[in-house]
Amino acid sequence: MTGTAGTLEAPRRAVTGLKLPLIDNIWRVRGEVPIDPGMPAAEAFARIDPLLRIPGTDVSEEGGVLTYTKRNPQAQDKLATFTRGRMWIEQAGAGAVLRFDLFSHALLLCFLAPLLFLGFSQLAITIKAWEAADTEAGAKAEKKDEKKPPAAKTLNPVDEFLGAPAPEDPSKKKKDKKKDAKDKEGRHSPDEGYVLAGIFAAVYLFGRRLEPFLVRRRLRAALAGPPPA
Amino acid sequence: MAGVQVGKRIIGADAPVTVGWENTGRVEGGPVKQFVFTYFQPVMLFAAIAFWYYAPNWLAVASTAIAIRLGWTVLLLALEWVNPRYNSWQLTWKEFATDLFYVALGMTFLRMVDAYIGDGAIIEAVQGAFDWKKFDWFTGLPLLVQAVLISMIFDFGQYWMHRAMHNWHPLWLTHAPHHYITQLNVQKGAVGNPVELFLIGLGIGGFFDFLPRAFLLAGAIGMTVGVYQHINVRFNTPRWWRFIFNTTEHHSVHHSQDYEATRSNYSGTWIIWDRIFGTCVDGEAEQLGMEGGRRMDIGETMVFPFREGWRDTKAWFAKRLRGGSGGAMQPALEPAE
Repeated sequence: MTGTAGTLEAPRRAVTGLKLPLIDNIWRVRGEVPIDPGMPAAEAFARIDPLLRIPGTDVSEEGGVLTYTKRNPQAQDKLATFTRGRMWIEQAGAGAVLRFDLFSHALLLCFLAPLLFLGFSQLAITIKAWEAADTEAGAKAEKKDEKKPPAAKTLNPVDEFLGAPAPEDPSKKKKDKKKDAKDKEGRHSPDEGYVLAGIFAAVYLFGRRLEPFLVRRRLRAALAGPPPA
Repeated sequence: MAGVQVGKRIIGADAPVTVGWENTGRVEGGPVKQFVFTYFQPVMLFAAIAFWYYAPNWLAVASTAIAIRLGWTVLLLALEWVNPRYNSWQLTWKEFATDLFYVALGMTFLRMVDAYIGDGAIIEAVQGAFDWKKFDWFTGLPLLVQAVLISMIFDFGQYWMHRAMHNWHPLWLTHAPHHYITQLNVQKGAVGNPVELFLIGLGIGGFFDFLPRAFLLAGAIGMTVGVYQHINVRFNTPRWWRFIFNTTEHHSVHHSQDYEATRSNYSGTWIIWDRIFGTCVDGEAEQLGMEGGRRMDIGETMVFPFREGWRDTKAWFAKRLRGGSGGAMQPALEPAE
């Protein structure tokens, strides 16, 4: 490792050739961790090396910039959320900082997931409308052979003794037909899709805050750890 | 690795598996923690049964079951946080988001497909073809007997479907992605290729005319027993429980990196089926997965059965056409038999 410090003046993008000033905050995380000003870059990189030297991660260092890429990292990989990244050391006033610029497929896909589930909701609405049209056409034919309401079921004496509520009498149910029709239509409800889209939006916001926090904490711990042997 | 002989098989020759109950882990901590994690499972089972047994009709409906299930999942996630079985199975944000994707897929897309070709549609067709009235006496049985019967009949079907998946290559290709999970967490049961999730969801419990309350009770048994298959919580599971019911311990053996161990503990809720049919291995494992623990991402999970199926079919035809020498039938995965 050369130990040459990089600067922020030079553009440092995780994806070269792509310039997206604000929108890339969705999948990119940039930040810094203070380091001991006396610590050489080579030693700082050596201290964070255990975080990166794991199967499935390629690491290279050029011009004072540490670059890594991961191919489908293990579940317990400490940087699993960030599949590409660059780190370098910069002088900041009297001290120094380790800056990082990380890229996350997981955050991007989680951000897009609500769209998929809104799409499923739309699909449910479409199928529902299509089925409703189909049912109306067949309704007349069905009228003739209307079924008798099923006989009321009774509880076993053991359950009666133990006090379990008796089953409802189907003949006493007034709005059965309406309910049945509603139930039949309800099998393609868009509601699940809407709820899940909302949940994924919440999971994204949570992850966008949590994961950078964890990266900072892990880098800080690694840099404060014992010097590499 | 020497492994341990269980019946005619050697378990743990490829990867570490703890066989037997003597050396499995125990809950570590003070008396309160010991108490909670010893009695949690039975108390929750009996509480769920009591609730569904006595709940008034207006409350004993499917929407209540859904609400309880949601709260239950959150509680189990909290337990994973408080008392993990293995730190190496700790739930991360990325794993949680990935698992949630599979759960969500099951609740939306798969449900839509299921409405046309799922077990509901099949059962309707079969019920229409026969006079099932002769089974009416089922509804006269005590509720708990009905519930246990529903649960056991459904699990019996799942047992054989699952066992078939481990013994017939085309079915194995659909099930294999699920075996690439490298840790057990509450929602990991939903991880897998949609074709497999559809197949495993086919049930035979629904043919008979049980009381609705019995179905809810059966669901409660599944929710408070089968749910522990995939969970990262250390329990001191009571002896009687692990004799009758499937546990995380059993299912971790089934998911271990040891090939022979994966060919055991097929049932979902009633491990007694495995005991009856000679496939039960008591014990536990930490190192899970396939190919030495390679994680399979969502994209590969979706295409895996089709990609491997296509490769194997091509290889099979090549072998046939070249008179048995060319295109070695070399599936990327070891079929489970």
